[in-house]
Amino acid sequence: MTGGDASRSHVDVITIDNLVKRRGSREILSGISFRARPGRVTGFLGPNGAGKSSTLRILLGLDRATSGAALIGSVPFAKLPDPLAMVGAMLDGPGAHRARTGRAHLRWVARSAGLPRARVDEVLEVVGLTNAASKRVGAYSLGMGRRLGLATALLGDPEILVLDEPVNGLDPDGIRWIRTLLRERAASGRTVLLSGHLMGELAETVDDVVVVNEGKVVADGTLGEVTGAYRTLEDAFFALTTGAAS
Amino acid sequence: MRALAAETSKLASLPAVWIATAAGVVVPGVIAAITASAALGAIDRGPAAIAAIDTGYQELAFGVVGAIILGVVAVSSEYVTESADSGGGRQITTSLTAVPSRLRFLLAKLSAIAISSAMLAITAAVTTMGVVRVVLGEHAPALGADDVPRLAGVACYWVYSALLAAGITVLTRHGVVPLAVLIANTSVVSVTYLLTKITPLANYLPDMAGVRMFIRKLADSTAEISPLTGGLVMTAWVTVLLVTAAISFTRRDA
Repeated sequence: MTGGDASRSHVDVITIDNLVKRRGSREILSGISFRARPGRVTGFLGPNGAGKSSTLRILLGLDRATSGAALIGSVPFAKLPDPLAMVGAMLDGPGAHRARTGRAHLRWVARSAGLPRARVDEVLEVVGLTNAASKRVGAYSLGMGRRLGLATALLGDPEILVLDEPVNGLDPDGIRWIRTLLRERAASGRTVLLSGHLMGELAETVDDVVVVNEGKVVADGTLGEVTGAYRTLEDAFFALTTGAAS
Repeated sequence: MRALAAETSKLASLPAVWIATAAGVVVPGVIAAITASAALGAIDRGPAAIAAIDTGYQELAFGVVGAIILGVVAVSSEYVTESADSGGGRQITTSLTAVPSRLRFLLAKLSAIAISSAMLAITAAVTTMGVVRVVLGEHAPALGADDVPRLAGVACYWVYSALLAAGITVLTRHGVVPLAVLIANTSVVSVTYLLTKITPLANYLPDMAGVRMFIRKLADSTAEISPLTGGLVMTAWVTVLLVTAAISFTRRDA
């Protein structure tokens, strides 16, 4: 499905165009290109160190590409007039200071976007952290940290979600909950890009799959296309990233 | 303005900032109480003794540790790594996705630091001068028109010190080293003061020049610097450091 009107679906496309990133003499990304489209959940998969996080960091303007471009619609993330309303992101953990309470963290993020305080309580409710909102982030479990990161990403009710390893540390209930949440967002015509290496959990969530290995895209297509002749996405993934046919 | 509101909110909800505030008010207040009591004892023993011209101001020169802690933790808190349990992320990621313009983020952060350290300086000055007045009573040096520019100098010194501390921490991206070095230099062993014994040029280091804005009788001074010159010298240091920090911050990977 391609939900939303034509202009919106244009604005919501994530375009990664021939990204190259070098650190010293090491090439981390060697020309990564793909798109994440509205109305679909795109899984960005690869083993640790394949270049997933680097790509997402460049997309969010945190790191600079050596060459190539990463665009939200037709502009780089840093040029978005109202970034939180356009893109909600979670990279490695909630990105919250451990001495602050979960609520205080969400409050400063809300203030940066001019969002009302009531919105903080809404997202706390959505992710199920209302009762832990007054606890310091340092006392959160891995799963609670993920939920706080998701709450931060959802604050601006964004058109696009970019989530790095969102299911890491969630219990089966949490995984089921996030899967439903992401499916609902895609069904309403929004764009979801998530990275991960846990194939089992992701196969039931994603529509499109981009597989990276050693800084290169090794497969890009719908879930069916990428799984192809293999029994499962997991089999396809290992075949693609280790070069061994299963 | 939204970015500034966010930075103010961050400072207010960070426990380390409240420690900095407490240090900024308690340190000069307590030292003032001790030195004023000692001065009162001397006055009671001999009529020749009078309270020194820098009573209260000397103490406020030490109290600047509060502003330094504030400046360091405001920046270092962005770079503290979360526990591995919760993913090992850092707050700077969230900050720059909320305010993607590096320059706007940094300006908002520095403005929040400047505003809060100015408020802290005013609170500390009122407290310290109040303590001096309570302890010395009629022997306290009278506060007059001359004290207006001096107290303004105290506020300026605190704001500049906080900004210097913040600028250094932007460059180090870690709070421990700047915190240890700057606090030690202010309280335990003033390296910059010792350097003035070796070369008079050291009088133009930021802290040595900056205190001239409000300290009138510097012990064993090796150079005459007017309050205005002192202020301008410190302004130059702050400007150079913040421009360097901004260039580094806008160019490197977060």
